[in-house]
Amino acid sequence: MKKQEKPFAFRGKYLLLVVIIFYGVFFLANSETALSALQKSATLLIKILPIFVVVILFTALLNYFMQPKQIADHLGRGSGARGWLWALIAGVISHGPMYAWYSLLEDLRSHGMRDGLIVVFFASRTIKIPLLPIMIDYFGWIFTLLLSFYILIGALVQGWILEIMEQRLR
Amino acid sequence: MAPLLLGVIGLVGLFQVLVTPKMLASLFLGNFLVDTLIGTLAGAVASGNPIVSYLLAGELQEQGISLYAVSAFILSWVTLGFVHLPAEIEVFGGRFVLYRNILAFVFTMIIAILTTLSLQVLS
Repeated sequence: MKKQEKPFAFRGKYLLLVVIIFYGVFFLANSETALSALQKSATLLIKILPIFVVVILFTALLNYFMQPKQIADHLGRGSGARGWLWALIAGVISHGPMYAWYSLLEDLRSHGMRDGLIVVFFASRTIKIPLLPIMIDYFGWIFTLLLSFYILIGALVQGWILEIMEQRLR
Repeated sequence: MAPLLLGVIGLVGLFQVLVTPKMLASLFLGNFLVDTLIGTLAGAVASGNPIVSYLLAGELQEQGISLYAVSAFILSWVTLGFVHLPAEIEVFGGRFVLYRNILAFVFTMIIAILTTLSLQVLS
């Protein structure tokens, strides 16, 4: 199967333009707060740069080593329980903000990843393994255990409902 | 995709400065159902590292905000994000994003309520 080339698009140019205008107006109104917001954004960018690098590398490796059919086998229509499990595990171990993963998921989706599995991935991301000790410290281990359990069940149910909704609308 | 991500990061910085913990705490009313809804909305509006949501949630709980609202706040902080919506729509399409966010919103409230109720039963 020949891979379909997507035309190049300067994605998000309008969003960036609006944000720049926001900052411009904000600087005129309250330069100190605007500067603080800009510093926070810069800190965030530096912090998540390694995650972007990992995502870009992972996407490149995936495209190089895996054929669209293989991706569809693991995450597509016929993936069955294995697909759900992959999405759940990937969501739990994924690090960084949600938007850092958009490009990889978009790529996987174009290769046949089911929408339900994307929902499972996003929903299960609420469990942050490195942060679990902090949650236990703040809210107790029973709360942490219960919350994690319901998050996992809820993630699967959300994915399942989305697939039903999409099937009905087709 | 770089402009898209820079746009979102710029918005996150703005929200982190404009939405303060004090502002969040003042939103809650004391009714568990309404507070769960407010917790979900507050978590969706606020953004940043999840560790910040735990610290804020701890502060909120110390101020007497119910565990229903606090749980909803922690959950929606990660799964919902008004700031990310423009980028999410551009990447995944409006219909998918609408469905995903409605599901995430409803399930945030359900999970928060179930967790707190289960905790009450167990303790």
